[in-house]
Parts: sequence; C-alpha cells; structure tokens
Amino acid sequence: MELGQCTLEGLALAGDAAHIPDKIFQPFITRACDGVLDVRSRDAIAKDSSFQSVDLAVLKEAYAAVVTLLLEAAKNDVDSNSISSVLEDCKFTSDRIDIFSKLYKDRKPYLQILLGRIGDSCPHIVDVDWRMDYYIKNNHLEKVNQAVYLITLKTEVPGQKDFKEVQFSCTQEQLQDLVGKLRDATKSMEKASQL
Amino acid sequence: MSAKFRMGTDLAKYIQELGYRNELGYQTFLYSNDADIRKVFMFIVDKLPKETVEAQEETLGASILLQRAIASTLARQLSSPWAPSYLKENGITWRGIPPCWQREGASSLCHFHSCRITKPFRTGDITKKIPKELRFYYTKILPVVTNQTLQHNDTAPSVIEENAIEYTQQQEWESEWNQSGLGSRLSEEEYRARKKERIKKKITDQLRQDRQRGGTTAGSSLSLDLQQMISSISGRASTTTKTKGSRFTHTEKLLFAKDEEKVISEVGTGEGPRTKTEEELQKEREVEVGDLREELNNLVSRLESVDMDMRKFTAGIQQMEEEIGNQGRINKEKEEGFIVKKRTLDLLPDAENNITKLQAVVDNSGQRLINLANQWEKHRAPLIEQYRDLKDLTSKKESEAHKMLEEIKEFRKKMKEVADEARNKEELQKQLTSEYERMTKDVNRLAYTKRITEIVANIKKQKKEIDKVLVDTRAVQKEINQLSGKLDRQFTVTDELIFRDAKKDEAVKKAYRYLAALHENCELLIKTVEETGLIMREIRELEDQIESESHKKVLSNLEKISADFQQMKKENAAMLAKLKGKS
Amino acid sequence: MLLMFDDKQKTHLSFLLKVDIGVVQEFCRLSFEFLRKGSNPKVYQGAAQKLGVELESVQNGVEGLMYLFTESSKFMISEIDFQDSIMTLGFSEELRHSLLQMYMKNRNEVREILSEMSMDLPHYHNLEWRLDVELASRTLRHQTTPTVLLKLHTKENSKMSTQVLQTDPINLLHLTKVLEQALQEMKSPYCRRIVRNIK
Repeated sequence: MELGQCTLEGLALAGDAAHIPDKIFQPFITRACDGVLDVRSRDAIAKDSSFQSVDLAVLKEAYAAVVTLLLEAAKNDVDSNSISSVLEDCKFTSDRIDIFSKLYKDRKPYLQILLGRIGDSCPHIVDVDWRMDYYIKNNHLEKVNQAVYLITLKTEVPGQKDFKEVQFSCTQEQLQDLVGKLRDATKSMEKASQL
Repeated sequence: MSAKFRMGTDLAKYIQELGYRNELGYQTFLYSNDADIRKVFMFIVDKLPKETVEAQEETLGASILLQRAIASTLARQLSSPWAPSYLKENGITWRGIPPCWQREGASSLCHFHSCRITKPFRTGDITKKIPKELRFYYTKILPVVTNQTLQHNDTAPSVIEENAIEYTQQQEWESEWNQSGLGSRLSEEEYRARKKERIKKKITDQLRQDRQRGGTTAGSSLSLDLQQMISSISGRASTTTKTKGSRFTHTEKLLFAKDEEKVISEVGTGEGPRTKTEEELQKEREVEVGDLREELNNLVSRLESVDMDMRKFTAGIQQMEEEIGNQGRINKEKEEGFIVKKRTLDLLPDAENNITKLQAVVDNSGQRLINLANQWEKHRAPLIEQYRDLKDLTSKKESEAHKMLEEIKEFRKKMKEVADEARNKEELQKQLTSEYERMTKDVNRLAYTKRITEIVANIKKQKKEIDKVLVDTRAVQKEINQLSGKLDRQFTVTDELIFRDAKKDEAVKKAYRYLAALHENCELLIKTVEETGLIMREIRELEDQIESESHKKVLSNLEKISADFQQMKKENAAMLAKLKGKS
Repeated sequence: MLLMFDDKQKTHLSFLLKVDIGVVQEFCRLSFEFLRKGSNPKVYQGAAQKLGVELESVQNGVEGLMYLFTESSKFMISEIDFQDSIMTLGFSEELRHSLLQMYMKNRNEVREILSEMSMDLPHYHNLEWRLDVELASRTLRHQTTPTVLLKLHTKENSKMSTQVLQTDPINLLHLTKVLEQALQEMKSPYCRRIVRNIK
C-alpha cells in the first residue's frame, strides 16, 4: 500500500487526541466509512453536530486521510495486521488501532464491492426465456412441421437498470448444439474447480 | 588407474568426514556391491541440505496459491443456488461459509471516472501558519472529500487517483532530488526556484524565436511549430511537478492568445478552397483572404519597423545618458583642478613663508604616514593569520560536507533497499503463513504411527510363530528323549532276560548275539542319521554364505581387481622404463 | 389432395402433348434449372427454333411445368395424388411416369429453395466460449472473479452477425439447465402427441 505524504500527515491528525478526542473517534471513523459507501451520507460528517468541538479544517483533512486509507487498503486487500502497522507509524494509540481495525474488517467486503463495481463488461447474461413453436407452414411452403425455439437472453449492461434482450430462434438441432456447447463450458468449469 | 584410486580414497575420506560410521574405503567405490552403496547413498541423501527443496516449493507457491484460490471461487460459485436478478441488490449475492460476496450481474458497473479533488493540507501544523483566507476557505467553503464529486460513484476513483498522483509526485521528486538536487548543494526551495526559472527562460526563448519566424513564414508552418513546441514543453513539464505544469500551461495560454487567433484565421483560409460548393463565395473569400493577408503583412511590417524604431530610440537614450554621465565626470574633474590651482595662486604672494609652512606640513604628513604604516603592519599580521586559518577551516568543512553528502546518498540508497527487502520479506511471510495454514499438519505423523504399529504387530505375529516352532521342536526333542530312554530300558531288560537264558540254551545264545549286533547296528544308524542332519544344516549355512558372497560379486570384482592389478603393473613398468630412459 | 389447374394453365401444358417425350424430359430439366438459377430467355429461343414452334408456346410449356412442380412440392403432394392431378391433363402413361419420377427426384430440392424464400428470423448459428478469471482491476488489486465470455453467431437470410456476451458460473449453470429443459420438452408426451397429429 502506498500513501502520499499528505495522507500520512492527515492520518497523524486523526490519531492525535488533541485534535480528534477519544470520545468521537469511533463515530468519526464510522462516518468516514459511510461517507464512502452510501450516497445519502456522503455529506453526513459536515452536518453532524457531535464534531463541533473540532476545528473544521482539521476535521476535513483528517477525514480525507481516513477515506484515502480505507479505500487504498480495500483496493490492495490489506489485512488488519498490516493496517495496524501503518497506523502505528502515524502514532495511533492501541485502542484507536483496535477500533479502526475492527471497523475496517467489518466494512472491507462492502468497500471491495464498491471498488469491484468500477469497470466495464460486455452484456452480462442473467436469465433466459424460451418459447417453443411448432412451425406448420408459410406463404411459400406447407407442411414444414418443425419445432422452433425462440430464445431470449436477458442481459445486463453496465449503467442501465433495464435488461437488454438478445433474441434469436433455433431449430431443435441447433438448440441441441447450443446446449452441448454450454454443457461443455460447465463441465470444464467444474473440472477447473476441482484443482 | 592411480587417478581412480585417488578419487575413491578422496570420496571415502569426504564421506567419513561427514560422519559416516560404517566401514568405507576406496574399494567401496571401485569394487562396489549393492548393499554397501545403498547404505552410503542413504546416508548422503539424508545429509542433503533441505533448503533447496523448500526453495522450489516457494517458487511454485504463488501460482499454486492463485490456482487454488481460483478453484475455490469456482467451486463456491458452482455450488451456490441461482436467484433471479430482481432478488439481488446490485447483482451481489453472499454465499459460502464464511459469507463471501460475488457479483452476478453487470448493471451496477460504472466506469472509472475521476475528478480533481481538494484536500486541506497542514491545518494542524502550528509551526507553519497558513494564510487566513485559505483557512477560511478550508473551514467554511470546501466540501468534505466524499461530497466533492458530482456523482457519488466518482468519489472512490477520485480519491484513489489523487493518492496515486501524490505518491508518484513524491517519488519523482525524491529520485530527482537524489540524482541532481543533492549534488547542487542548494536547499529544496532554492532548487525548485532555479528549476522554475530555467524552464521559464526556455519557454520565453522558444516563444520569441517562434514569433520572429512566424512573421516571415507562412501560417501553417507556424501552427505546426506551435504544436511541436507545446508538446515538447508539456513533455518536459510533465517531468516536473504537476502544479508547475498547470501554471505553465496557463501562462502559455496567455502568451499565445494572439498567435492562436492568427493561426485560427490561417487555418480557416486553408479550409476555404477545400469546400468547392459555391465558387463565388469561395472566390470572394479568397480575395478577402488575400486582402487580409496583405493587410496583415503590412501591419506586421509596420509593427516591425516601429519595433526597430523603438529599439533605436532606446539605444539613443542610453547613449545620451552615458554621454551625460561622462560630461558630468569631466566637469567634476575640471572643478577640482580649478580649486587646487586657485589655492596655489592664493599662496603665491607670501611665497617664502608659505613654502616653509608647506614643508612642515609635508614633513608632518610623511611622519604620520610612516606611523600609520607601522600601525597597519601591526594590525595586518594577525588578521592575515586569522584569514589563513579561517580559509583552511572552510576548506576542511567543505570536504567534510562533501563526505556527508556522499554518506547521505548512500544511506538513502540503503534505506530504500532495506525497505524493499522488508516488503519482500513481509510478502513472503504472508505467503508462507497462508500456506502453512493450508497444510494439513497431522497427516504425516498419523501415517508414520500407523505404519509403526503395523510393523510392531507384524513382529509380534512373527514372534508368536517362532515360539510355536520352538515349542514344537522342544516337544519333538522330549519325545525323542523319552523314546531313547524307553529303548535303553527295554534293551537292558531284554539283554538280561536273554543273557540269563543264554547260559542254558545254545539257540538263545545265538539270539543274544544277534540282539547285541542289532543294537549296535541300530545305534550306528541313529548316529548316522544325526550326522546327516548336522551336515545338512551345515550345507544350508554354507549355501546361505555362498549366496551372500555371490551378492557381493566377488568373482567379477576379482576379475576387475586383477585387471586393475595388471594395468598397474604395466603402468609401473612404463614408469620404470621412463625413469631408466631419463637416467 | 389434388392439384387444380385453371384453363389457361391447361392450354399451356397441352403444348407438351404435341411433342416427343424426350423433349418433355428436356423441358423438365430446364424447368428445374430455372427454379434453381432463374430463367434464361435465350434458351427458350434456341428450343423454339430447334422445334420449329413459337417461342411463346415453349415458354408457356416450361413455365407450366415449373408451376406444376413448385405447387406440388409446396403441398408435399404424395405420389398417387400427383399422378391423379396430372391425369386431368390427358398425358400418356409414359409421360406421366417420367413426370412423376422427375417430381420425386427433385421434390426435396424444390422445397429447400422454397424454404429459403420464406420468412426468416435471426437464428442460432454458432457459439464460442472462453473462461476468464479477472485477477485485478485498477481499483481492486486482489480478486478472482471468474467470467465466461460467450461469442454468439446468429444468421438471418445468410447475413451473419456476432455478439459478445458474458456471464458468471452461476448464471451459466442456470442457462444450461433451462435450455436443457427446453430441449427435453420436445420429448414430452404432449409434444409428441401434437407432432403425431399434425401431419
């Protein structure tokens, strides 16, 4: 994990009882976590009256540093031990380190969900609908008499709430081929999982 | 041959130095047998350092760990139940023990989009006061970090990017400072200021050059040059710190405002002929462009001439000022000369008196001059001494400083190395601990104990069997003893009976004799049987011995030995011949 | 089911009564070739000159045959029905027999040509897949996220198009299972009954 000088100085502020008293330390860290994770509480720290005793400039600097640390740690999948060594370097007391590590441990998966969400992907298949028709005739041809499947793949596209549908038809033989290939993929994945 | 022998003895010596207990010599290697060599190999393999094996595992470790992680994720996902997407929040499900999250959709994904965010800096540092306005901005206006971006989704990328920028800047600066900054023996601020100055100068030079060129050559080439120069500057600026870069681009913009306009107009005309839709308009445009260009050229030439004039005028002004100064100086000199001359003229009437007076004054002055010179000498000597001392001291200090600088450089390097090493070690430790946790610890021991108990049970079984055989043998022996006793007793009884009767009857006498012969013969038979048994046993032992000896490949070894012996003889003979030839 | 001919068609086809059976066979060959590749007026001209008849009647004869074959193929008319249908045209036994043979030989091909003309939806052509594991991203350095990339080729009227999709193992399993069920549905008694009854 690599942190800039500015962040380290901010962390030292956050760990200093003269700036952030012990009493409000835990709410402070909680607010930082929530501020990153939740849209609704992104400005909560500025509105919270329990931090009135702290100089606002100092509070903002410490807050920025804690937010950076949380995100960087989650990004690099740092465990609680390594994070406590970083905090020790910033002169945190052991009580504060414990509080921080515990909160970090609880929130780490959520932070990683947030970070894992940043990226791009192809349309992602989440469901499938099918319909079977019996194709009897058309204007050029009679007695076709063949089963035809209409398959709709429901896919999710990044940044869109609605499904994007991919639709195609296939005959029984073609469906057989498709299913065979899908089964192949599943099998090979199962094989890979038993390593 | 002798080389072989030496090699064998050396090997034996080394192995014995390692602590091999059994008998060992050159013969073990030259005339080997399976069992001995096996023993030696077992011993040596035992002694093999185990680190090499571990090292191999280490190199494999990371990829194996990764593969395992992938396999476990796959297994977890494959075993978890499916749920329709409207039951999942942002496509995330929690599965497995302990619960792990996994994403099963893409609708919640968003692009990496970062904006510039501002963080308060050094607000808690009392030693350095920050400006009042800045503090006001920090406390009252600046929103908190998580509320600075337009979209909440952009917060995390922005914060991460900000940190990355800061970190890289720091690294860049550190490396530059280590490379050239420390050597310049300037303070950090001075170094930065000097660098800034240098770059600024370069830019203005280039700008001036381009402007001069731009006046004479066509506009298109000018715009090309402009782009080139901007890119070259930005390339250079990017190696410096970012804040500087932005300032430069800013000033650059200001300086270029005019030129760019020109470029734009030029580019506009350049596009004119390309669009051949309305020829008239185009012609008009061309005419207009021609006019404008002419006008521009006129203006430029006028500007140049005016510039020239201005330069000439300023040069004239300078010349004039210089002349004025010169004239003033000459004036002063002349005034001084006039005063001296006037005094001497005043003194002329009372010449005699004044001459003596002047003489006295001159004498006095000479005296005083000498006095002063003496005094000066007195003061000068210690001062010069002091000056020399101080000079020495400074040079010493300088060299010391140099040394210190070198040391500092070295320390920095070392520091970095140590930090890197520590990081590597930590990684390794983490990896090893995770592997250690993974390892099933009791398997080996359990297997060993199981095997041992099995062996013990086997031995017990064998012992029982041996006991059984022993008991059997003993029973047989007992029976034999009993039978022989019975036989003895029977014989004596029969012997007595027949002996008693033998005196009376001739036939019985004969029978007695037969009995005695029979007994004797039977005894002989038994003895023979026993002897046969003994011999059989001996034969078996000998066979065993033969077998074990044949395992040792005595014959082939003997052949080898004799061959070696022959070869040695030959070598000896050759050597003798050589010796004789020499002597 | 019998094929019905209107009077005009009958007169067109009646031309065939006047010529040799070899010529009729040649006409049949021509009509199938035209069905395959489109008609060629030059051939009509050559044939008309050779036979010494009007171009129009040759053309009408061949086109009449084309009609006969396409219609009967369209309805999948059986052997007997075909023979009965052309009975009304007054052809000789031998001619009827050779027409029937021609029909039976080329029926499947004509149906194929007809099916190519019919309406087509984008239909499945091929699927390629690949298993990827995302190991790190710009904002999340240590992760193992398996994804399956699918490249779906579909075809509509011989126009190919490709789409790249992706999914995760769970959804892949689900997808496979659902489509397997769909395939299995075809073998259910209900579907079989329908298939049997619609003939």
